[in-house]
Amino acid sequence: MKLLKKTDFIIIVLILVIAAAMWFVYKSRFSNVAAKAEIYYYSTLVETIDMRDKSERTFSIAQNENVVFLLDNDGNIQFIKSDCPDKVCVNTGKIHMVGQSAACLPNGIVVKIVPGGERSEDDPDIVVGR
Amino acid sequence: MGRPVATGKTGRLVQAAFIFALALVLTIAENALPSLPVPVPGVKFGLSNIAVMYALVFLSKGQAYSIAVLKAMFVLVTRGLIAGMLSLSGGILSLTVMLVLMTVFGEKVSYTILSISGAIAHNIGQFVVITVIYTGMYMWAYLPVLIISGVVAGIITATLLRVIIPVLRRLS
Repeated sequence: MKLLKKTDFIIIVLILVIAAAMWFVYKSRFSNVAAKAEIYYYSTLVETIDMRDKSERTFSIAQNENVVFLLDNDGNIQFIKSDCPDKVCVNTGKIHMVGQSAACLPNGIVVKIVPGGERSEDDPDIVVGR
Repeated sequence: MGRPVATGKTGRLVQAAFIFALALVLTIAENALPSLPVPVPGVKFGLSNIAVMYALVFLSKGQAYSIAVLKAMFVLVTRGLIAGMLSLSGGILSLTVMLVLMTVFGEKVSYTILSISGAIAHNIGQFVVITVIYTGMYMWAYLPVLIISGVVAGIITATLLRVIIPVLRRLS
């Protein structure tokens, strides 16, 4: 068995192109969808945050005060502090698009961005005359 | 490349134990490295995959699977239940994908492609478990990241394997 063959380069490029294509499809599909953030503590939904509420604040969930989240003016959410050893959650950085998530597995906390649901900016404000 | 012939049951046992020890050392070495600044849980170089791949290519598939399972048990004992489950799912899926590729393509597949496929499968296997444990994260939002990091990790592992093979063959 060889270490590397010429055809490998084609396969590698193909794999990378597929990955890039998936990323673009995902991005174009979800970049402008109204979103809310759901915070789970060991698979139980403990808090829901409307991502359109763009007032900057930091907060924690009652189950674990050592983990601090930041919601910023641009509608991103992120872990800014955690007492876990590996800090994967903090390194994840800001998330805002539907489908993104940040997890602190040692503390059992997951933040997921999900579609905002019922109402969006495009909905009519009032309906007159049925 | 011929297989190093292990004489009898004891020989095979010693070989598997030796490669398992190598896998453990690589796992420990990897855990000692600072975690990569990648925004997805579970993305790693997968250095211990070197040992598993060696077992698969030069020993037998049975030995390779035992090493993957034993490695997961080691992670379970040292790093907890979730880490253990991640290691097991990633390890088994990775090994199965590599085994299928070897069976289908035989000598035509290169170490690099084998290792890349194994690394991507490892990432996906781990992520599936994370998704199941933490109620449905959107897998495909992360698929590109898992694939690209798998390609990088796979190239690194294949290169290191190439370096390690002569050393291992002299020992066995």
